[in-house]
Amino acid sequence: MSKQLIKLRVNGEQYELAVPPNKLLLDVLREDLGLTGTKRGCDDSSCGACSVLVDGVPMLACVALAASYQDCELTTVEGLGTLDALHPVQSSWGDAGGAQCGFCTSGFLISTKALLDRNPHPSLDEIREALSANLCRCTGYMQIYESVKLAIERAAAAKAAGAGS
Amino acid sequence: MTMPAFRLERPRSLADAVSILATHGPDAMILAGGTDVVPNLQMKLFSPRVLVDIKPLAKNAQLASIDWSPANGLRIGALATLTSICESPLIREKFPVLAAAVATIAGPLQRNMGTVGGNLCLETRCQWYNQSDFWRKSLGGCLKKDGPICHVAPGGKFCWAAWSGDSAPALLTLDAEIEITGPQGARRLPLAQFYKNDGMDRIALGRDELLTAVHVPARMAGRRGNYHKLRVRNSIDYPLAGVAVSMHVDSRGICRDARLALTAVNPAPLLVKEACEWLAGQPASPELIDRVAQQAIRTAKPLTTSGSTPVYRRDMVRVFTRRALEESWRSADGK
Repeated sequence: MSKQLIKLRVNGEQYELAVPPNKLLLDVLREDLGLTGTKRGCDDSSCGACSVLVDGVPMLACVALAASYQDCELTTVEGLGTLDALHPVQSSWGDAGGAQCGFCTSGFLISTKALLDRNPHPSLDEIREALSANLCRCTGYMQIYESVKLAIERAAAAKAAGAGS
Repeated sequence: MTMPAFRLERPRSLADAVSILATHGPDAMILAGGTDVVPNLQMKLFSPRVLVDIKPLAKNAQLASIDWSPANGLRIGALATLTSICESPLIREKFPVLAAAVATIAGPLQRNMGTVGGNLCLETRCQWYNQSDFWRKSLGGCLKKDGPICHVAPGGKFCWAAWSGDSAPALLTLDAEIEITGPQGARRLPLAQFYKNDGMDRIALGRDELLTAVHVPARMAGRRGNYHKLRVRNSIDYPLAGVAVSMHVDSRGICRDARLALTAVNPAPLLVKEACEWLAGQPASPELIDRVAQQAIRTAKPLTTSGSTPVYRRDMVRVFTRRALEESWRSADGK
C-alpha cells in the first residue's frame, strides 16, 4: 500500500511522516516516533493501555487511524512531565505504589490526567468511573486509587504554593 | 493482528461523503469513532477498498450537536460522541432512559470516541464471528462470514448474531426517528423500521447512505425511564441482555403510556409491543408487572451467541423488566 504524507502534532512537536493509510496511531507513536510509553495490550479497544490525550480527551490509540488525527493536539505519557520535573500523577504513582508490572500505567496516567484537568477534586466514585476503561492485572486497583488521591493532594498543594508566591 | 489494506477518504462535506459512497457502493465502508469498525477490520471481518472517515464532518455543527426545542423535540447529530450524550444535562433531565443506556456503553475511553450514529449502526455480534481470521478459518467459517453453516443453529439458514447496542433500545422507547442522507437528499425513518432482525443484514441503510441524525419527539420529554444491562464486568463489555423502559405516569400513579424494548437477545433491538397495550391506563400491580415480564421473555430469543447461556440471559430479561417497571413507577410517585 502506498504511503501518504501526514502531519501529526504530538507532545507539542510537529511531525511530518510518510505512513500507509491503514497504520494505527498506536503504531505510528511507537514505531515511527519511538514513543513506546503507549502500550499495546488487548489490541481491540478493551484494555486502555494505549490511551493518549486527543485535544485533552483520553482516547484509545489502538483503534485510531493515525491519518484521522492530523488536526489534533496529541499527548502521550512522555508529554506529561520530564525526568527532572515529573507530573504529579507520575510522582504519586511511584510513591503510592500504583504500578506493579507497569504495563497498564501509562494508560492510567493519561486517564487520570484527563480526569483531574476536568475535575480537580473527584470523589472515589468519580475516580473509579473515570478509570473504569483501564484494566490492571497486578495491583487490584487499591494502590491505583491511592495514587490518584495523592496526585490530587500534590496538585492542590502545588496550586496553593503557586498562588501564595 | 494486522489491518487490511484500503484507501482512506476524509471528506470535508456531507455532499462529498455521499458522493464517495455512491461512487464506491459496496466497496466503501464508513468509519466514525472506530471502536467497533477498527477491531473488526483487524479481525478481517470487513475488507473495504475505501474507508470513508466521516469524523471531519463533526466540524459541521449540525452533525455533532445536541439541540432541543419544545416545537421540534430533540435532535442529536450522528457524530455526537456517546460521552456528550450521557453527560448532557438536557438529556439527563428530559430523556433519562437515553442517558442511562448510553452511560453503560463500553467504558469512558470508548464513549469518548464512539458516536451515536455508530452505536445505532453497530455490527451484530456472535462468539463464532467476533474472532480472529485464524480462529474462524480453523473452524471453516460460519454462515455470516466465509462458511456454509451456522454454529449456533446448525442446519438453519438464518444468522442469529445478536444486536449488541445499548442506545437503540432506549431510543426505541422514545419513538425516535433517524435521519438518513443519500444521493437523493435526507429522509426520515422510524428507528423501529431501521432494524431488520437478521444477523447478516441488520439495518435498512443503503450502501450510498449515511445516518446523519436522531430525532426524539417533544412529547417524550420528561418521561421516567431506565435501562438495565447484563454483562460480565460493569465496564467495557457489550450487553448480554438489556431492557429499556420509558413511562409516563400521572399524579395518581396511573401509567398513561409506556414503552419497553429489549437488546442483545435477538438480531435486532425490539419493542415488546404488548407492554404498551397492557400498561396503558393501569396502576402498578405485581400481577401486571409479572405479566409484562413474562411477555418480555417471549419476545427475547437469545441463542448461544455469547459465553453466557441463553437460559440465564432470558431469565434476566424477566428480572430486568420487573425492576425497570417498578423503578419507573416508584420514581414517578416521588415526583
